[in-house]
Amino acid sequence: MEKEVQPFEFKQCVTVPKSTGKSAKNLRKLRQLLRRVTDESIIHHTCQYFSYGHVLEHTNGFAQWVAESLGEKALSEHLSNIDPYDFWSIEDLRHELLKAIDSRLQVPPRPRDAMGGDEFFFSEAITLVFPAHIRALNLAEFLIGIRYIDKSSIYYHFYEARIRLKGETDDFSKWFASSLANEGLADKIGSIDPFMHTLEEVRKHIVEIVEDEIKKTMEERSA
Amino acid sequence: MITEYTGIAPKGDLLLLQKLGEKLAGKSFLHINSTRLGGGVAEILQRMVPILKELGIEARWEVIEGDEQFFHITKKIHNALQGKAIKISREMWEYHFEVNRQNAERLSPEADAIFIHDPQPAPMVEFRKGGKWIWRCHIDLSKPVKNVAAFLKRYCEKYDAAIFSVAKFVMPMAIDQFIILPSIDPLSEKNRDLTGKEIAEATGRLYIPLDRPILLQVSRFDRFKDPIGVIQIYRMVKKYNDCILVLAGSPATDDPEGAAVLKEVKEFAGDDPDIHILLLPPDADRDVNVLQRVATIVLQKSLKEGFGLTISEGMWKGKPVIGGAVGGIPMQIIDGVNGFLVHSVEGAAFRARQLLNNAEMAKEMGERGRDHVRTNFLMTRQIRDYLSVWYFLEQGGKTILEL
Repeated sequence: MEKEVQPFEFKQCVTVPKSTGKSAKNLRKLRQLLRRVTDESIIHHTCQYFSYGHVLEHTNGFAQWVAESLGEKALSEHLSNIDPYDFWSIEDLRHELLKAIDSRLQVPPRPRDAMGGDEFFFSEAITLVFPAHIRALNLAEFLIGIRYIDKSSIYYHFYEARIRLKGETDDFSKWFASSLANEGLADKIGSIDPFMHTLEEVRKHIVEIVEDEIKKTMEERSA
Repeated sequence: MITEYTGIAPKGDLLLLQKLGEKLAGKSFLHINSTRLGGGVAEILQRMVPILKELGIEARWEVIEGDEQFFHITKKIHNALQGKAIKISREMWEYHFEVNRQNAERLSPEADAIFIHDPQPAPMVEFRKGGKWIWRCHIDLSKPVKNVAAFLKRYCEKYDAAIFSVAKFVMPMAIDQFIILPSIDPLSEKNRDLTGKEIAEATGRLYIPLDRPILLQVSRFDRFKDPIGVIQIYRMVKKYNDCILVLAGSPATDDPEGAAVLKEVKEFAGDDPDIHILLLPPDADRDVNVLQRVATIVLQKSLKEGFGLTISEGMWKGKPVIGGAVGGIPMQIIDGVNGFLVHSVEGAAFRARQLLNNAEMAKEMGERGRDHVRTNFLMTRQIRDYLSVWYFLEQGGKTILEL
């Protein structure tokens, strides 16, 4: 008997930022607070940064702030190069961020303070996850779904999943591999670099890859 | 009513609103502020309450009453919280409390969730009987007169949570504090789509020529909005690109400096026929909509700003925007992507020339701006966030909530 395919349930999420009440006006204070803020705050300024669609030259809130408010371009590049999904724990990620800041603090000149009102404000967020009421049982249905869903669903399955699944993969790749037994497709989706794309670009790439896969299957069948 | 937003607001926001509505259906939700008409808070509440009712929530909106002395005091408190050096005496605070006590007796503020908007009704929390109490602060508290903020804080800390518009406005307190950005209503008179006939009628009536690019700033005649700077920008641009300038604003009746600023602006503009200074009545929302739609570039060259929603209004109409990097403007403009953030008159003039000489770039920025507003600054998102905070409190403070 053929194994029943587990459907892919599209979900989406929204975050509502919550202030921690802590702010830093310079790099030393940022370092001091970074050591003791909650894991949720670190996640908010790194992983959840992507949900706001700010994919410019920075990849996290710390990198953006040191560049724009302190003029620390080299440190910003260093921080931007830290992949938050590359760590087993938020503690490790925190340690890497601190290491980058320390390497800057050890050399002159002394970094300047941010202008009043331009401090770094540590936040956290509450996250609400809810079904998009779209379910796919095969690739063709998945293609319609991925085209239709909101950007926040791409964020949930492609970015947030990496925290949920402890950096293993994203929800899409996981479903292609485990439910459709299509490791090749899973690898192609898994190789899209989350750092280098906006949510809409990620959607575009997934659509292209899945379309190619469907086309290939149809051609193979008719051959 | 909520169906009117289908195809305008993001699908996910509408879906989450429905989900939260299902969870909170039958519960009561009371909003209390200090005015039924005028100002952004009343504008949003007018639209929000019917939507909440449609979601099955028993929403109610009440307004506190007070005499002239009370509102004189609350204006002073408001200004002190925004940084003006003003002393609030013990007697004034006592009167503020007493009027709130009378209002609490009259309104019986009982509901499953009670949102108190701004400082005027903040002491109402002293009369809480049950439900979740949330203080919604719409004003800039980043540099308040310290003892005024400290006094207000005594009330605020009795709430279950507070909501601020921007992280830097947050007052350190031992309660949950959320950041919820303000929003615009895409279906309001100020933002809805207009017909060609409506646009032609208003531009004709206001004598706005449409034969050249239009630089527009809509704001009160207030020094913090830098209207003189905007005229300087126009003059710098005009040397290279023929254009007209429209400065449109309502008379600020509560601001004694307003008339003086308007006089200065008129004198500075001189007899240039291409500078149009329009004094619009406070309810001229459609005229503002028309001006934003016929503008080539929307400016908000403020030196100090609360949030500056005119930026979102301009973006919603697909216009490239140039804003001073102050207040909430940097939350709306992603520099170089959906507009330009500037720090000087010269910077603004340079960016305006860039946009006038590159129609393609201006168009792309306008499109990105509209998308940015659709995702982040529509009223449906704000209602969604309010309900999310309430639901979070109902769920005992769990940070990940599955619906």
